[in-house]
Amino acid sequence: MKLKKILSLALAGTMMAATFAACGEDQTKAEEETTEVVEEATTEEAASAGDEETYDHQAIEKAGDITITMMVSGTAAENDFETEVLPKLINEKWPNVTLEVTKLPDDNYYTSLKTKLASGECPDIILTQPMYAGQNSCYSMAEAGYLVPLNDLDCVKGRHDMAAVTYNGDVVTATCSVSILGTYYNKDLFEQVGITSEPKTWDEFLEDCQKLQDAGIQPIVMGDKDQYVLQFGLYQIAANEIYPKNADYDTQLRTGDTSFTDKDTWDKVLEMYGTLYERGYIDASKSLGMGAAQAIQAFIDGEAAMTFDGSFNAPAILASGAAGDFARGYFPIPSTSGEQYTATCLAGGESIYSGSEYIDECKEILDYWMDGSSPVWEASLASGKVIATYGNGADEIENYDLFAPFVSLMNKGNGFYWCNQAWPAGTETEMEALFSEMIGGQGTTVEDITQGMQDKFEDLLED
Amino acid sequence: MIMKKKNKNQTSPVFNNRMYFFLIPALTFFLVFWIYPLLQLFYYSVTDFNGINYDYDFVGFKNYVKVFHNGTLINSMKNTIVYAAVTVVLSNLIGLGIAMALNTKIHLKGFFRTCAYFPALFSAIVVGFIWSYVYMPSSGMIASLVSLLGGDGAGFNPLGDYKIALFAIALVEVWRGFGTTMIIYLAGLQTVDDSLLEAGRIDGCSEWQLTKKIKLPLIAPTITINVILSVINGLKAFDNSFIMTNGGPGKSTKTLMFQVYETAFTDQKMGRASAFSVLAFAFIILITVIMLYFMNKREVEL
Repeated sequence: MKLKKILSLALAGTMMAATFAACGEDQTKAEEETTEVVEEATTEEAASAGDEETYDHQAIEKAGDITITMMVSGTAAENDFETEVLPKLINEKWPNVTLEVTKLPDDNYYTSLKTKLASGECPDIILTQPMYAGQNSCYSMAEAGYLVPLNDLDCVKGRHDMAAVTYNGDVVTATCSVSILGTYYNKDLFEQVGITSEPKTWDEFLEDCQKLQDAGIQPIVMGDKDQYVLQFGLYQIAANEIYPKNADYDTQLRTGDTSFTDKDTWDKVLEMYGTLYERGYIDASKSLGMGAAQAIQAFIDGEAAMTFDGSFNAPAILASGAAGDFARGYFPIPSTSGEQYTATCLAGGESIYSGSEYIDECKEILDYWMDGSSPVWEASLASGKVIATYGNGADEIENYDLFAPFVSLMNKGNGFYWCNQAWPAGTETEMEALFSEMIGGQGTTVEDITQGMQDKFEDLLED
Repeated sequence: MIMKKKNKNQTSPVFNNRMYFFLIPALTFFLVFWIYPLLQLFYYSVTDFNGINYDYDFVGFKNYVKVFHNGTLINSMKNTIVYAAVTVVLSNLIGLGIAMALNTKIHLKGFFRTCAYFPALFSAIVVGFIWSYVYMPSSGMIASLVSLLGGDGAGFNPLGDYKIALFAIALVEVWRGFGTTMIIYLAGLQTVDDSLLEAGRIDGCSEWQLTKKIKLPLIAPTITINVILSVINGLKAFDNSFIMTNGGPGKSTKTLMFQVYETAFTDQKMGRASAFSVLAFAFIILITVIMLYFMNKREVEL
């Protein structure tokens, strides 16, 4: 009994001490930081920052037998590029280097990454996402001091498209590929109802949807049970209707100069996307019970004429289904003005952990990988998962014709990042939940959604 | 005085003082892997830790205030209670009913018992995926059956319907969990002495009276165990929301644990998620203690 009493007193004491210690700490510091705006570098700064710098290019040769570790997210396929091809090619180039690659499904990757960072055992090379996207966003990891500046990489020098992976003037992620959001469509079904070309304006798009519906064809299928797919359509419309008018819209959200509740911004985007549900072009009564994979299956089975999805899902969407190997096209949702824009942006890439023992060696590997001509570069293009941001044989990749118009639009300056990359993680889930409520007939209005997004945004920025 | 002191130090010949040393490994394990993480959870709940950046600040009880203020706690608590109520009631009724049926002398008893327990062998992930296709609109198993029978299979969409999505995923939990409940009831029913039932029959009791007056009172401790276990299980619900609906449609299937997960890993508010966990922990303990108190009281009355 005595032992029990002593133990319980000790535990209670520890808990109390923890509480009071916590309350007594510098709370004002946290409050001050809520208003702090992270300074992201402009592309010009990023490009110029690394022009003069260099790293030890001989380090990898002189390192002796070393093992470099790397961790990425995804599901390893047969003859997988990251887990099989890349280590083999690196070892062929530098026989003294063993590259050990771990590939984990997304959720496992995030958990593993956090655990490894916390224990100081992070792999030398890790996959990070642009700006604030995801739990491995390069901005939040750079802010915590986990990433090495990569300004001195040869594959980064002189590039002017790296703003999304540049934190406080330093490029922190090496990437040379893009990710696209667009509208996959079934050319056979389009032709069947007399649609001969891709729509150029929002009104034309709605007319085409109506033609399909009148012919008894479901115009668009979406797997809204996986609510994240709502982003696929909404971000395309935002790229048309918000960013061309104000490219700094999201930066200004952080300073309070703009708001999700501003007229003709997100209200317009949500109304336009909501129209597709209102008119039954996307059948909410089905889509809310259908997962993303099931929707893709329905599209390739010929059960619907279109689906909004990303370039990252191309292998699944271009596969044969019950409807056979029908011809497929890909276009960005058209804008109301007719001017073409696209939600095409830098894809995730590789970063080097600041606690790595082999920083220069890792840099050499990344440079070799992304030099535009090495066997590693060619193998990465051949994997079909990479849509290169610049030449170097990018046009030889599978399905390049499908994606080329998007890359051209981006190179022309009409490509915008995916909205959630600029938002604190969690804003988009609030948007998805509220939008689902609206299309599910729960009485949620567009104003409720924009207000909810704004509240969530402010709440997430607060700490 | 000497005698008194001697008596005080006297210990059991079976469990003398030296035996306490053998408690040390288990106690250490308990402190390191249970008490310490619990204290850590409480510690993080008063910080603004985001799960990545260890340069965090202490924010007092702000996280607790936020959790109450932003409505997530109320919504997830409401969903969790409904989910737990459905799973507790149905899995116990079905489990008890099947246990009683399989406790009689019927052919292929072993086979039927195995069949009833079979769903419990699958992992939550497998069950979630299977049922996602069972519930799928238009071409799912139930929708196809409804269409085959001439009904509106195309309109069948339980996971996409705000009003029934939570019940739909709770039913999956019932399907997966009733086997375990049944096994425990079966064990309880086999402890009922046949002579008591025989005596009841001689006195002219019907089967219903035998069940009500003899079997149920005698398996009251089993009922308590099953109900408490189901309540704890129901209040900790996470798998089905995560796998089958991802909390949707809207926020209609977000349970307490799902909300903790989302706050920690999607919103990257590890501190707030810790506060949420502390409150959820307190809530589950409270409900369990209340249930245990009333169930034990009822046991005595029976």
